[in-house]
Amino acid sequence: MTTGASTKVSAEPTAVMAVARTKGARRTISGTAAYVVLLAVAAAILLPILYAVLGGFKDNGQLAGNPVALIPDPWVFDNYANVLWGENAPAFWGELFNSVIVAIVAVGITVGCASAAAFVFARIRFRGREAMYTLFVFGLLFPTAVAILPLYVLIRQLGLSGNLLGVALPQAAFGLPLSIVILRPFFRSIPMELEDAARIDGCGSFGFFWRVLLPLSRPALATVSVLAIVTTWNAFILPLVVLNSEDQWTLPLGVMNFASTYSSDAARTLAFTVVSLIPALVFYVIAERHIVGGLTAGSVKG
Amino acid sequence: MFRSQGRESSSGPRLPGKWLTISLFLAPALVVYLVFVIIPIIQAAHFSLYKWNGLGPLEDFIGLANYQVALASEVFWQAVGNNVLVIVLSLLLQIPFSLGLAILLNRRFPGRAIFRLLFFVPYVLSEAITGIVFSLLLQPDALVDSGLKGIGLEGLIQDWLGNTDIVMLTLFVIISWKYFGFHMILLLAGLQGIPREIEEAALIDGAGRRQAFRYVTLPLIGPTLRVSVFLSVIGALQLFDLVWVMTGGGPLTATTTMAVNMFKSGFEEQQMGYGSALAVLLFLCALVVALLYQRFVLRRDIDGAVTAYNG
Amino acid sequence: MSNPRRTLGLLGVLALTISACSSGGSASSAPASAAPSAAPSAAASAPASAAAEPVTIDWWHIATGDPGKADFAAIAKAYEAAHPNVKIKITVTENEAFKTKLSATPADAYPDLFQSWGGGTMAAQADAGLLQDITAAVAPWKDTVNAGAMSIYQYKGVQYGIPWDMGMIGFWYNKDLFTKAGITSPPKTWDEYLAALPKLKAAGVAPLAIAGKDKWPSMHLWSYLLLRNGGGDALSQMIQTGDWNTDACTKAGQAVLALNALDPYQKGYASADYNSEAASVGNGKAAMELMGQWAPSVQKDQSIGKKGLGDKLGWFAFPTVTGGAGAATDGIGGGNGIAVSKNAPPEAIDFLQFFMSKENQNKLNTDGVGLSTTVGTETTVTDPNLQQVLAGRGAATFMQLYLDQATSGPLAAAFNDATVALFLGKSTPEKACQALTDAAKK
Repeated sequence: MTTGASTKVSAEPTAVMAVARTKGARRTISGTAAYVVLLAVAAAILLPILYAVLGGFKDNGQLAGNPVALIPDPWVFDNYANVLWGENAPAFWGELFNSVIVAIVAVGITVGCASAAAFVFARIRFRGREAMYTLFVFGLLFPTAVAILPLYVLIRQLGLSGNLLGVALPQAAFGLPLSIVILRPFFRSIPMELEDAARIDGCGSFGFFWRVLLPLSRPALATVSVLAIVTTWNAFILPLVVLNSEDQWTLPLGVMNFASTYSSDAARTLAFTVVSLIPALVFYVIAERHIVGGLTAGSVKG
Repeated sequence: MFRSQGRESSSGPRLPGKWLTISLFLAPALVVYLVFVIIPIIQAAHFSLYKWNGLGPLEDFIGLANYQVALASEVFWQAVGNNVLVIVLSLLLQIPFSLGLAILLNRRFPGRAIFRLLFFVPYVLSEAITGIVFSLLLQPDALVDSGLKGIGLEGLIQDWLGNTDIVMLTLFVIISWKYFGFHMILLLAGLQGIPREIEEAALIDGAGRRQAFRYVTLPLIGPTLRVSVFLSVIGALQLFDLVWVMTGGGPLTATTTMAVNMFKSGFEEQQMGYGSALAVLLFLCALVVALLYQRFVLRRDIDGAVTAYNG
Repeated sequence: MSNPRRTLGLLGVLALTISACSSGGSASSAPASAAPSAAPSAAASAPASAAAEPVTIDWWHIATGDPGKADFAAIAKAYEAAHPNVKIKITVTENEAFKTKLSATPADAYPDLFQSWGGGTMAAQADAGLLQDITAAVAPWKDTVNAGAMSIYQYKGVQYGIPWDMGMIGFWYNKDLFTKAGITSPPKTWDEYLAALPKLKAAGVAPLAIAGKDKWPSMHLWSYLLLRNGGGDALSQMIQTGDWNTDACTKAGQAVLALNALDPYQKGYASADYNSEAASVGNGKAAMELMGQWAPSVQKDQSIGKKGLGDKLGWFAFPTVTGGAGAATDGIGGGNGIAVSKNAPPEAIDFLQFFMSKENQNKLNTDGVGLSTTVGTETTVTDPNLQQVLAGRGAATFMQLYLDQATSGPLAAAFNDATVALFLGKSTPEKACQALTDAAKK
């Protein structure tokens, strides 16, 4: 561990900070302290996740009757087995496929449109810019649940009801505000010198955008993609309303199979949802390397 | 990345028609957005002027009556209070915590990738599974209670989800658990934009670690931090999914947020007109916050005259 | 480093693929009904001839679990086999999700047949012109269905749907625990009931399990107290006029407070959901719950090892209140039915008749999907507790649909909210009744 973190803004024990001020031994001790903090936080995060994962190996009776135990006793493999290759498997894999399609389309559109728009908002001054930007911010401010009714009417009018595009397109639209809001400051931070250099090399705006700005903004783009994917992956109400036949369902809808009118199969639901989140996590792991991949040092020096 | 002035091109012969560029870049986003977001929102706002149960035609025009009822309603103000509580707590606790973690994770050390993955998992979990898991953990005599007993803090045990006085705080902890990964990833991306050389340079120049952080790092992630705070506040205002799954706004109305109130009125009680009015009110609250924030806080990012070093 | 051009190309191909793949989907989602051809009565019993034009029936139901889901699918398939020109498209969603989905569905997209609980929501749908008057269409066979149940799916004298499942709420209790507590036979009056509770507590169990988070289990208890105190006519009157500031309502609230004072509920009841309530009973931690006919199967499903109480489980009807205007044979119950939407083709109603046939309904009975309302199917119910429920249903002089379904809108929600406040000790009888009256006015 190299330079251990210097401060955590709030609850850091003052003892650590005091120690950190002395040179020499400072690095190792504050480094270790940071590691301890991380481990403590990790444990707190991990516990509920572990509970969820292991919960899938229990049955409802264990979950309700013996809520203290983390470890299943006995281990019930039915839940995960049924989801992955048993009776619920065809539904699961089908829903997974649908979720992937919706996610790719929605996120593709979101990131594409949002980066183009954010580019304009960040780097070109024009009249009405702030007003238009604020219009996009509106989308963050209005609770979407209530807009579902008119939205669905619209989707039907466009002939997209019962169609995965009828889920992907609105999902993409809803992801735009957040993406634009996040991308704008990143795009701003690219120095003008680079843009000038690109112009001199003969690039138009689009060339600069495509060849310089986007590649340099990988962390931001990856971040926005991840956030958009997670939102789309977990979206429930929109697919519920738009999709009718079970073979179009996305993963969140699949959970309904385990809930009946009065009660629900919590253990099976846990197994199903734990497995459902793996693809999104995989995507995050891949994207994350771009987020923390480090920037091209040396693009601008001095 | 160095900040420099004049990051914007406002005109210039090299741009073949500035407006053409703007139109081409903005058009896709604008079209999709107007069709699927703005139009439904306007229509939903239109519903708010009617007394309507969601079935049949829109007939019963009552003007602003829904708004009057809302503003006089005890539940509405209780919901506002709940939202404000979450906002304040988020700003005081959640953001600094996420920032701290992002800083810790910005360094290279063995196992860094695993930590980053782990800290992000809660955000990826759907509300449904979060609801199930925490409901199970927080039951009386379940894992949380047993854990407290085990470390001798038995006196702290409460009816976490049943006690109307503390249930909102319980939910805040769960919300923080779920969403801090979101802010962490955002701040991490921001931190990645700061070349190590700058911080090292400050340290070499004799700055203490805390000074380096305060005068070098913090300003450089300023824009990202300000976005993170903004999103946190807006998110706190919109709080719905997790609360709905965990408590349905209850017990009674102890955890009802503005969005929960809106959903309940609209979909459960089938007062779509009233629910839409609540949505518009929520929107207006958020709008005021957003506009004020944009004017006073984000302005410096827009005008962009911030340089890297202060003195 | 990813190649942006390739990614773009891939996205383009995907977009094309999706629109190509999904276009089939969007066609089938268009309004499903063909224009109704001949007069409705003609379609009542004759199977369509092979030369008839193709008809698609959209059916939305909520039987997400088996055997219900499988049974329904089988019935649909059987009908399709007998009527080759008819296709039945089934959409299954979970209960709460179904309500949300239906709320977001505009009138012209309403499914031909859909899950309905009758009562207030159905009335609201009828008022909005969404439902079809099937009185004439079902007249030839309506007597094959329990009359009381049928009436729940009528509104202003018009039949809008058919019930296929109807039961009654009663107390499900653990016979062993009762014996252990020294209670020899189930209590017949409310006073006897209250006297039994301390005995159960002394035996080390929670006498009564309720679910504060889900609210409706305790709402049923209050409803029964209201019914027993005021009687069926008074209750109907209250629903009709929306005036809940009545003597009976106050008395019911007071009875709840008296119940609270005995502290009979299971630990964590304030935030418990119905799953956990059922688990308490199924695992023997709580001695009783007041619940509908699905109680045994849920207890079993939620208990350790999926065992449930087996033959330790018993049932008794809600006790009478001495001095109350209600009769011992008054009941609160409900079930499931299917409503018919305005533009549904005659084949849809024909399918309903097939659905309600003794053969199909017997299967639902034996599979435990519901308590059929088709006359003559009672014999296929073999579980002794369910037989008692059926007997109660059959003997009922007055049957009230669950209050949160008999009404709609804010009042329906208010029943759950106002009564759970009583059980949580956060309200007074007067406040609760006033809250109901206020909600009725909205």
